[in-house]
Amino acid sequence: MNWKKEIDEITQRRKLALGQGGDQAVAKHHAKGRLTIRERIDKLIDQNTFEEIGPIAGAANYDENGNLESFDPANFVLGFGKVGGRRIVVGGEDFTMRGGSPSPAGLRKSVYAEEIAIQYRLPLVRLHEGSGGSVGGTSGKGASLPGPVNAPARFKSVAQAMSTVPVATAALGAVAGLPAGRLVASHFSVMSKKTAQILTAGPAVVARAMGEEKTKEELGGWKVHTKNGTVDNGADDEGACLAEIQRFLSFMPDSVEQLAPVNNCDDPVDRTDEELANIVPTDRRKAFDMRRVISLVLDRDSFFEMGAGYGRSQITGLGRLNGQPVGVWANNCKFLAGSMTSDGAHKARRFMELCETFSLPIVSLVDEPGFMIGSQAEREATIRHGTSAVLTAAMTTVPWASVMVRRSFGVAQAAHYGPEGFVLAWPSAESGPLPVEGGVAVAFQREIASSPDPEARRRELEDELAARQSPFPRAEALGVHDLIDPRRTREELCHWVGRIQPLLPALLGMAKFSIRP
Amino acid sequence: MTKIELETGGTVWKLLTKKGDRVEEGDILFILEVMKMEVPYEAPISGKIIAVHIAEGDFVEEDQLALEIAD
Repeated sequence: MNWKKEIDEITQRRKLALGQGGDQAVAKHHAKGRLTIRERIDKLIDQNTFEEIGPIAGAANYDENGNLESFDPANFVLGFGKVGGRRIVVGGEDFTMRGGSPSPAGLRKSVYAEEIAIQYRLPLVRLHEGSGGSVGGTSGKGASLPGPVNAPARFKSVAQAMSTVPVATAALGAVAGLPAGRLVASHFSVMSKKTAQILTAGPAVVARAMGEEKTKEELGGWKVHTKNGTVDNGADDEGACLAEIQRFLSFMPDSVEQLAPVNNCDDPVDRTDEELANIVPTDRRKAFDMRRVISLVLDRDSFFEMGAGYGRSQITGLGRLNGQPVGVWANNCKFLAGSMTSDGAHKARRFMELCETFSLPIVSLVDEPGFMIGSQAEREATIRHGTSAVLTAAMTTVPWASVMVRRSFGVAQAAHYGPEGFVLAWPSAESGPLPVEGGVAVAFQREIASSPDPEARRRELEDELAARQSPFPRAEALGVHDLIDPRRTREELCHWVGRIQPLLPALLGMAKFSIRP
Repeated sequence: MTKIELETGGTVWKLLTKKGDRVEEGDILFILEVMKMEVPYEAPISGKIIAVHIAEGDFVEEDQLALEIAD
């Protein structure tokens, strides 16, 4: 007697599991221009680094003699792998079986993803394509026994993962129900423009409940979800989505107990760019390109923008200064003058929470005219969302460096400065309770109205008052740490990065507040 | 053919090109005034303006089609 039969069966089961939903289902999936979950994982991780969990979880079928006849693997693939040499946990639904709707073993592996990432303190990557449960239950053969009342709360580990390890997710096909909920419970999310839709409920359910006839793309395509902030980024195809996840992870620590990895930097700390001297037009009505400012100041090509389509008056992303990963937040004056809209405030709050969770220092490039005003802004509760951002900034414990690039006005500007932050001003900096444009209209209402040419008088008054907002008195009063030549911004910020190094280890561990979607 | 759509609503302050004009990538096509800021729209490609859907003084809305350029 020996174990040969059993050992052979293990080999046989492993082989069958790799067949996923069968040749026909895989071919059908490929024909739609989509990769299988195993191909996606291979593309994401370093070669030959996959350490699979539960490769033979699934359901076996036997013939009448008790021999293995066929094997249906769990339709969620889970395991460890390495990205850029660093270990992560990775998992995703296998759409070639049951359209990604969880089988019993598939559901177990799926909910284990967060638990194992928390246990090993490793970043979690979820590659989603699938739907939630079906009315037929996970067995697909009618109602199964309901879960016990004392079962652990399904979403507790999802929430804990968000405050413990970096979570990055991609939507690579249609994602609905539970996978859609988990998709957005992440620190970075990206969807494929070609193949993905994200749906709270699909077209059939929507038509039945709402009488609304819409395609999957109309309901939840990238044009909808990159603009409403459901996902951070849209990428052209699956490969581009995976590359974005790799890029995001390169800035992140393994968990809240580690510091983000500092790279060797070959971009000189004292690099100056002439372009910065005059990048902000002296004419206050002229917009400038804040993204250009960011790219000139940070380590060359290091900026990774997140959420460009949502809350577009604010720019958020990750970057490096002398190799140190930092969170970067700036105003985009080309969009609604860079004002704090309700969605911009929500985006900024989540971004600060991300930085606080993973002890990332924040660099803030300020050109804040104030909260967005007008009836739409009031309807959107801008003051409440905006104040939420302001209070979040006040509660952060990570180091901040804020550069007053141009405007810094009203209550909203307070969101751009952290406690005990390092503050620099450019010669173009203006600050006060409200921008002169609004202030002049209110304070000089009668004078403007009684002038022979009210429009000309208004502009004249605006220019007169703006000239009085020189940043020199602020520098004299130590209202800023320094008033600088814009060309020296990079050097100043890199010195700051050096100064804060001893402070960073004390920030490690679970943050007092974390990030929620 | 490239369509230039508006990032935000606002007022068309200056229209610097007309149908039939040849433009180079980076040329300023028009300037929108949005909340007292002048926001220039640059040509994303070099080509010929084949349609203009806005006029100076127009109140315009987000996502509105402004210009079409053929390369």
